[in-house]
Amino acid sequence: MLQGSAMKILLIEDDADTAAYIANGLREHGHVADHAADGRDGLFLAAGAHYDVMIVDRMLPGLDGLGIVKTIRGAGVQTPVLFLTTMDSIDDRVAGLEAGGDDYLVKPFAFAELLARLNALARRPPLGAVETVLRVADLEMDLLKRSVTRAGQRIELQPQEFKLLEYLMRHAGRVVTRTMLLENVWEFHFDPQTNVVETHISRLRSKVDRGFAAELIHTVRGAGYCLRAPD
Amino acid sequence: MHPTRLLRTTSFRLSALYAVLFGASVLVLIGVIYWTAIDALHQQLIAAVDGEIAVLVEADHTSGASRVAEAIGRRVASGGRFTAFYLLQDAGGAKLAGNLPAMKPVTGWTELPIPAQGDSEEDAADGYQLLARGISLADGGFLLVGADTYRLTELREAILGAFAWGLAATIVLAVVGGAAMSTGFLRRIDAINRTARAIIDGRLGDRVPVRGTRDEFDQLAQNFNEMLDRIQALMDSLRQVSNDIAHDLRSPLSRLRQRLEAARAKARSAEDYEAAVDQALAETDAILATFTALLRIAQIEAGTRQAAFAVLDLSEIFRRVAEIYSAVAEDRGQRLIATISPGLTFRGDRELLIQMLANLVENAIRHTPAGTTIALDLERTAGVVVGRVSDNGPGIPADARAKVFQRFYRLEASRTTPGSGLGLALVAAVAELHRICIELADNGPGLRVSLRFPKGS
Repeated sequence: MLQGSAMKILLIEDDADTAAYIANGLREHGHVADHAADGRDGLFLAAGAHYDVMIVDRMLPGLDGLGIVKTIRGAGVQTPVLFLTTMDSIDDRVAGLEAGGDDYLVKPFAFAELLARLNALARRPPLGAVETVLRVADLEMDLLKRSVTRAGQRIELQPQEFKLLEYLMRHAGRVVTRTMLLENVWEFHFDPQTNVVETHISRLRSKVDRGFAAELIHTVRGAGYCLRAPD
Repeated sequence: MHPTRLLRTTSFRLSALYAVLFGASVLVLIGVIYWTAIDALHQQLIAAVDGEIAVLVEADHTSGASRVAEAIGRRVASGGRFTAFYLLQDAGGAKLAGNLPAMKPVTGWTELPIPAQGDSEEDAADGYQLLARGISLADGGFLLVGADTYRLTELREAILGAFAWGLAATIVLAVVGGAAMSTGFLRRIDAINRTARAIIDGRLGDRVPVRGTRDEFDQLAQNFNEMLDRIQALMDSLRQVSNDIAHDLRSPLSRLRQRLEAARAKARSAEDYEAAVDQALAETDAILATFTALLRIAQIEAGTRQAAFAVLDLSEIFRRVAEIYSAVAEDRGQRLIATISPGLTFRGDRELLIQMLANLVENAIRHTPAGTTIALDLERTAGVVVGRVSDNGPGIPADARAKVFQRFYRLEASRTTPGSGLGLALVAAVAELHRICIELADNGPGLRVSLRFPKGS
């Protein structure tokens, strides 16, 4: 399947409807989801078992989301955390990341967005692993020389296109959403009114895919984009 | 005015403190005067006694003790420049002359009580002392000359009296002055309090009277009034936002409702339903986007982001936005030309500055036709860093320029292009937060937006 292997996910969310929506969605996509309805249970589960990734609501009865993450980080648990919140301010996002969160998603959200972000978090390369060359099929990116070749043929990229391709290659095989690209490639924490993402993807495609037998950059309808090796 | 309230005022407490300080200075001042004057007088007495002794000893040397006794007798009879006391004794201790009783010879300086004698009895009763010096004569006799310390004591009392009066006057003046000053202060504070009270009670138009004296109270009143004006403006803008939200979210929400209702009534196939749901989702996303934008503007206007300001490479931000949007412009048949001086820095919020600049460039891209050239410049001229986004498109009429920064304001011409009408409102909010002076001008043809970045940040 597109999203890769199953993940074991801990969901700490007090709103029953949202929790059911997320947990069911995750199970439909073949993942294992444990649910805790308050901060204390959540902390108990987080400390007791191994999870690939945790989804933590910011506002919880008992112990709040920030407190949970600070506590488990203090105890040395490195499980990636995605904060789910209705608190939409920049300061809130910064506070969440400073507490040890790895990503931040504001409610309401599209399920595809959540899934893509969980995939990106759960399969992050371990810290400290420094790669200098990224490879997907016959596409190769040298991060030191800042050069890109496909099937040995050199491809000239603008700086922004290089950044975009690097992000896609680091998340190869996984869906990346428009918002993930906007935030991580261009530092746009807002929704632009022009088709910035589409424009850059189409330019990148014309350089990376045009004239080659197999397409690497795919559009995933209703979700985003995915760079992957042909089957 | 209630007396205890007066006592609690800062100015009264200050006056009390000053009273203590002034009292202490009076004490020190009088102390110095006292010590200096008493010492001078004391020296004078010593000099007089020394002079008499010198004269008498000289007489003893030249003419012998009998002449000395004679001289003392004359002096006692006539009285001197100051009341002088003498004693001359022979080697056996018998008194030869003088107005003091015989005593055991004491050489050097000494203080003796004044002997009670006739009309100077009161003096003795008052305990005046005699400052005296005794000396041994060549023939084994003893000579003592003393001076009355009456004047010394008088002076001492005069100075101490002056001190007591001065201290009392200082304290009375400080207390009275403090009370008067406090009353004045309280009256002006009361004016401010009355205004605050009136505003709490709902009379939002009230303002503190300004006297025009340009003193601290006037400044306080002015700042207070400006603060009230600012709050009033914020409240107006809040009211405006609520109205805007009501208006601008109501229309898409009713559209959404109509569509869902129509789908419920008319849709026959799964495809119909799917199409209706897709439309509803798109509509919902648009509503959420408007909502997010409004909240963000409100958040920026609240001004709390300044805490996160850092020094940024402004040139890099301009270059980044230019690189991102030149491709977008090209796809629409426009050209984006960037002229960016390197190495210009600015203290601010990176995320917001990127959004501000992106909004301005997008505004130019979206509201100009194909074939338009858009220029993005950043340079330092005459010490001021100026950024510009200009185009040679249709521009906007001069009378509409001030309004484009208002929420939901849209030019008639652009009503048909999609957009929330919040992009430039956000630009204005970010600019204000960073004290960036933003200016719209005719680019002949087209629109030129100038951003003058403040210095010293």
